[in-house]
Amino acid sequence: MLTERALGEFYQRHARSVWTYVYRVTNDAFDADDIVQEAFLRLFQADVAPADEEGLRKYVFRIAGNLIADRWRRRKRDERRDPEAVPTEGGEQRDLDVVRTFAELKPRDRALLWLAYVEGETHEDIATSLRVGRGSVKVLLSRARARLRDLLTARGMFQGLKK
Amino acid sequence: MTADDLTPADEQVVSTFMQRLRAAPLDVSPRMPATDVLMLKAQLIRRWDAQQKVRLPIDVMEPFEMAATLAAAALLLFWSIPSAFDWIPRVMF
Repeated sequence: MLTERALGEFYQRHARSVWTYVYRVTNDAFDADDIVQEAFLRLFQADVAPADEEGLRKYVFRIAGNLIADRWRRRKRDERRDPEAVPTEGGEQRDLDVVRTFAELKPRDRALLWLAYVEGETHEDIATSLRVGRGSVKVLLSRARARLRDLLTARGMFQGLKK
Repeated sequence: MTADDLTPADEQVVSTFMQRLRAAPLDVSPRMPATDVLMLKAQLIRRWDAQQKVRLPIDVMEPFEMAATLAAAALLLFWSIPSAFDWIPRVMF
């Protein structure tokens, strides 16, 4: 178990990256605030927690992923909420296009892509985070990539991203 | 095209896109509580959970207590009814 001080420092170091992940997936700043707070509260209350920083980080991402999944299930009937929540201001046009395109994907696709590409998590970690079968991650991730590629093509951004 | 048709070029585009997304500035700022506040909240929740654990046997036994009290009251009433009937005519006549 880590000391309170160590947990506090861990929170200060990682809260923002967890928040960014949750926000990019949910497209809702209030949800992100709630989920991240809940995830860290659960970590602070956990009797057994991984002692190393990386393990702890994965643990928080897993809790956050589970909380996101719980909200998806509760809000499945309200799927139109996401496109409405797409950010409209801040940043350059190019950044805005990137953010808007990402927001058009389904929440699960966003979570899969973020964990795989930004957090660099393994398929096993992603499966635990999103509560999906280990064998399904490869297929789901592949489909998410294909949907993103199709979106980029439809928006005429594909060629611009090719180097 | 299906998911299986992803070419290395597609993979590279997706990867570049995700790196741009990672670098894109956030349009809102997180409103996260201060570390002390979160720690205090965690402590309060822990204390609340501990209290609930201690209270659990009391809460579980409460319905049995109520049932036993009601049964005792009913029994007492049942026993006292004959003597009550004896007492009423004496008062009235």
